[in-house]
Amino acid sequence: MATPGGASRGPFAPLSTVLCSDDFDAGLQGWTGLIGNYEDSLDNMLPQYADLRPPMLSNATVWDTGTGGSAAGTYAMKLATRPRRGSLAVGIKRLTYRQAGLIQLEALFAFKPEASHLRLSETDVGSVGLLFDLQDERQRVMPHLRYLNALDGEAVGRWQFKRRAPGFADIGTSGQTRSHYHLAPEDWEDLPGGGQLLCYNEIATKLNWHYLRLGFDLGSMSYAYLQCNDRHFDVRPLEPMRMPAMANLWCMLNVAFWVEAGTDKRAFLYLDSIVLSADLHPCASA
Amino acid sequence: MRQCLTAVVDRNVTWDGDFATEPWEAAWAREAIFFVRLLAADGEPAPDQPVLAGRVQLSPDGMHWCDEGTELRLAAGQGLGLARVSHFGGWLRLRGTIAPGVRLRVIAYLTLKD
Repeated sequence: MATPGGASRGPFAPLSTVLCSDDFDAGLQGWTGLIGNYEDSLDNMLPQYADLRPPMLSNATVWDTGTGGSAAGTYAMKLATRPRRGSLAVGIKRLTYRQAGLIQLEALFAFKPEASHLRLSETDVGSVGLLFDLQDERQRVMPHLRYLNALDGEAVGRWQFKRRAPGFADIGTSGQTRSHYHLAPEDWEDLPGGGQLLCYNEIATKLNWHYLRLGFDLGSMSYAYLQCNDRHFDVRPLEPMRMPAMANLWCMLNVAFWVEAGTDKRAFLYLDSIVLSADLHPCASA
Repeated sequence: MRQCLTAVVDRNVTWDGDFATEPWEAAWAREAIFFVRLLAADGEPAPDQPVLAGRVQLSPDGMHWCDEGTELRLAAGQGLGLARVSHFGGWLRLRGTIAPGVRLRVIAYLTLKD
């Protein structure tokens, strides 16, 4: 594998300070699977968290043309669901922030179903999404966005957001552990003007990479901008999920991506690279 | 420094009858170990029979599989087993059978190193 050193800027336009730049040619670089909270036993985890599939490193090999490689090198982070409708795969990176300013997440991504049938299969991936999980001194804020590719076998092609926070459940008996499942298929709302057709291509093994950019202001805890390829969406009026600050999450800056199977077929999301950057004032960047 | 990655390929799942782990891409790695750790067990196998008989499988595409030749067996009362492989190409999985009348709750790992 390549010498560690991160991605070149390539197609990205990061803010003044690059917080991380992951091209996955030197491992998963801090991206890992998501698990629900538990106490004493894995059995008391919320059941929706029990089997979120973790990330792997992929060189995007397909049965008919062999290795495709990634957008920036050989390897990409791959999220792969089980072959079951509604199965999710999630990759998360857990950081903290040092200044409550503008942050920007950029990525190249591509999604496909497993090429297990020699058909177009363009509605087999249900959705792909991304989130921040943030906390300041007052509140925990969870901006969630997804691209709903298809629903019940019908093409949709629309960006959505979620503002309604699910309730918390107590986990175990100590009173210290709580959990909420925020990736449920319920409570997604359409982005105004959020329809977008992506480049699925013409068979299940042809993979096209898409550019994604999300800006979020940690100062006002509000959306700043969203871009996918040539489309810019006005996300400033959108509300993220908000809830009171929790006991152990100060300055949390988590980033996650996920993919959801729309049918009983594995759904794959490839990411390469992922660049997180911030606008830091000089006193904080020194 | 060498790259090493441990994937939890199944966690707190119940295996009975036939099982197979999800396809795992491992083209970057030179060596791999599947670990299976028992979290709970119900039932007893026939005398001198393993509770779990697994075999490592390889695939060129993540969809079509053949046996690599390495086996992973868990005897009754054994809490952790492993299967060690190298020179395996692109995809790995563990496939096998649980003894009749036995149900196992397991956590399964795939540890990869380049």
